[in-house]
Amino acid sequence: MLIELSGVSKTYNQGRANEVRALSGIDLGVEQGSMVCLKGPSGSGKSTLLAIIGCIFPPTSGRAAIAGRQLARLPDRFLTLHRRETIGFIFQRFNILPELTVLENITLPLLPLGVAPKERRQRAQELLERFGISHRAQFPAGQISGGELQRVAIARALINNQPIILADEPTAHLDTNLSREFMEIMQQLKEAGKTVVIASHDPVVFAHPAIDRTVTIQDGRIHVP
Amino acid sequence: MTKSPSRWCSPCATAKRCVETMRPALRFAMFLCLLLALDGALFLDGLARRKAQDAALVKLEVAASGLGLTDLAVATEARYTRHPAVSDPVAPFMDHPGAIEHFPTGAFWLPPQR
Amino acid sequence: MTAMARYNLEKQLNILEYALSSLWRRRMKSLSVLLVFGAVIFLLASFQMVTQALSDKARQVLAHTPEITLQKMSAGRQEGIPLAYRDKLAGIFGIRRVVPRIWGYYFDEVRLANYTVMGMAVDEMPEGARLDTALARGTMPGPAEQGRAVIGSSITNALDLAGRDTFSLFRPDLSLKSFVVIGEFSRDTDILTNDLIVMNLADARDLFGIPGGLVSDLCVYVANPTEIETIAKKISDALPSVRVLTRPQIQKTYQAVFGWRSGFGSICLLSALAAFVILAWDKASGLSPEERREIAILKVLGWETSDILAVRFWESVIVSGLACIIGMTAAYVHVVYGAASLFRPVLMGWSVLKPDLHLLPRLAGGDILLILAFTVIPYLAATVIPAWRSATVPADSALGG
Repeated sequence: MLIELSGVSKTYNQGRANEVRALSGIDLGVEQGSMVCLKGPSGSGKSTLLAIIGCIFPPTSGRAAIAGRQLARLPDRFLTLHRRETIGFIFQRFNILPELTVLENITLPLLPLGVAPKERRQRAQELLERFGISHRAQFPAGQISGGELQRVAIARALINNQPIILADEPTAHLDTNLSREFMEIMQQLKEAGKTVVIASHDPVVFAHPAIDRTVTIQDGRIHVP
Repeated sequence: MTKSPSRWCSPCATAKRCVETMRPALRFAMFLCLLLALDGALFLDGLARRKAQDAALVKLEVAASGLGLTDLAVATEARYTRHPAVSDPVAPFMDHPGAIEHFPTGAFWLPPQR
Repeated sequence: MTAMARYNLEKQLNILEYALSSLWRRRMKSLSVLLVFGAVIFLLASFQMVTQALSDKARQVLAHTPEITLQKMSAGRQEGIPLAYRDKLAGIFGIRRVVPRIWGYYFDEVRLANYTVMGMAVDEMPEGARLDTALARGTMPGPAEQGRAVIGSSITNALDLAGRDTFSLFRPDLSLKSFVVIGEFSRDTDILTNDLIVMNLADARDLFGIPGGLVSDLCVYVANPTEIETIAKKISDALPSVRVLTRPQIQKTYQAVFGWRSGFGSICLLSALAAFVILAWDKASGLSPEERREIAILKVLGWETSDILAVRFWESVIVSGLACIIGMTAAYVHVVYGAASLFRPVLMGWSVLKPDLHLLPRLAGGDILLILAFTVIPYLAATVIPAWRSATVPADSALGG
């Protein structure tokens, strides 16, 4: 199992008046090379679960092992380093920096790794060509179409060849065609050996044949129908 | 009428291409070097001027010694700003005892600190 | 270079380039901060350079001021000193010579200008015989010549003497006294002589209506300069009503004149401090939503808090470094090539006669450090310390809509 969660809970502001229990007793295992969809309404705890899988913060209790590393024992700095090497993120609304060029956006994860400009350009070019947007390399990201933005976001998630791809409501602001296009690319990534976890309540996503398993989250727990 | 890039002279076009492909840190370093080169030029000019001033200094020394001068002749609006070194301390208050400083240079050319 | 060193260098260069790009993305704001900061440094550096250049010049030329100057005081004010006091000084061992001078101010009511009029027997002064070398043309007036004067360059301009060489001044009884210009001081001596009219003792006495037997002051020259204070004390004992000014005292005046505590120095400092309070407050008043979003995105993409702080640090270093270089260069150009024209109202005030100031500051390492201490270091502190706020932006805030 590449992702193993056992009895995972997450409480925000523990011990304070505004304490919120976002997740309770989550047990989840994701095999390497599989694609899982986390389904649930907003406020159900999907983003919190994604943040734990994405090594952004450890759980309050329970065991979480991502790519062989126990998160609970890792200090913040090592969590960041582990995330860098392991997780590629695709955000809702893609979270691209519009003033930077497409190339600069894609290579953002490589800057703190001390990767030289020539190598950054090379790696980015390969991905841009793979996704058919190499002609947009020098365009400001704020000036490209929604579909192209989507591909830029995916390219950025792959730039460091991370084994796990996490996507948080990637199709929330896309039309049906672009949503289908997105899932086709995810399928290609899965076939290339990546492990993909998508949080979404879009039927185009969770009903896609490439999805191996759908996990429903409700009120911070996995809902078993 | 500006020349189109293709009509730029070869060295200019080469330089332009060079700067464009340069990494930003290097471009910034070049800009800094340009500024520092300007400072260097000012420094060298300063050295030349100092040589000329040193030549003029001899005349100043003769004038100071030959006339018994005690002050720089810069602020001629009031006697205590023209000759701060040898004015009596009462001079700024000559109008009346509680006189407020009204000459602009009085704030700059201070009375002697004895 | 080892792999580790290469990695660190490449990483810092990447972060530096990100900082440059970040500044360029907000170029209007960055430019405004740079301009304000540069202007503050320009002001402080200009003040520092002008005062240092003047102070240097004063130190150089006042090394040749009379060793002891005697003035008679009455009711706290200066009045004419009797020539007879020279005889009382004759008994003091160590005095080489005593030279009387009549000098004062002539207010030209037409031009509203103050001229400094000096009357003395120039060949009695040290270097008096060489005074002709300080002239652009002509010679110094002798003791027997009447109505002859040597003038400074500002007088030539004020009296509009191009093409003629006579002018007249009013005596106290409003009768006119004519002078013939027999020499003009060299422009090289402007900073000392531009407002001077030099004549012999008799002409000065006649012009000011000073009774015979009185002069303005006595210049005392001693045989051994190390004995100045001793002889000054002896003179003070012998002539109690006389104010004894020594060369070290006169030189000390100029050490104090150009201080930060002077009115104008305080204005410069206060303006600088006010500008910084505004800048620092702006920086410390929190991160904008765009900045928070950018930091959250970078954190999720694997940037550590220290990397983000490094970006802020480099931004501050770039802005403050550039502002410093530009501000100080502009200050130097202003002082040397612009003759400190922005400070003219402060240096010369209402003066009608304005000499050309040929100032050449000597920028020592200590002066640069002083300006850095007052400007760059507070700015770095004001910008980098609040940047720790970026450490509190949670990475997961980039997730979710």
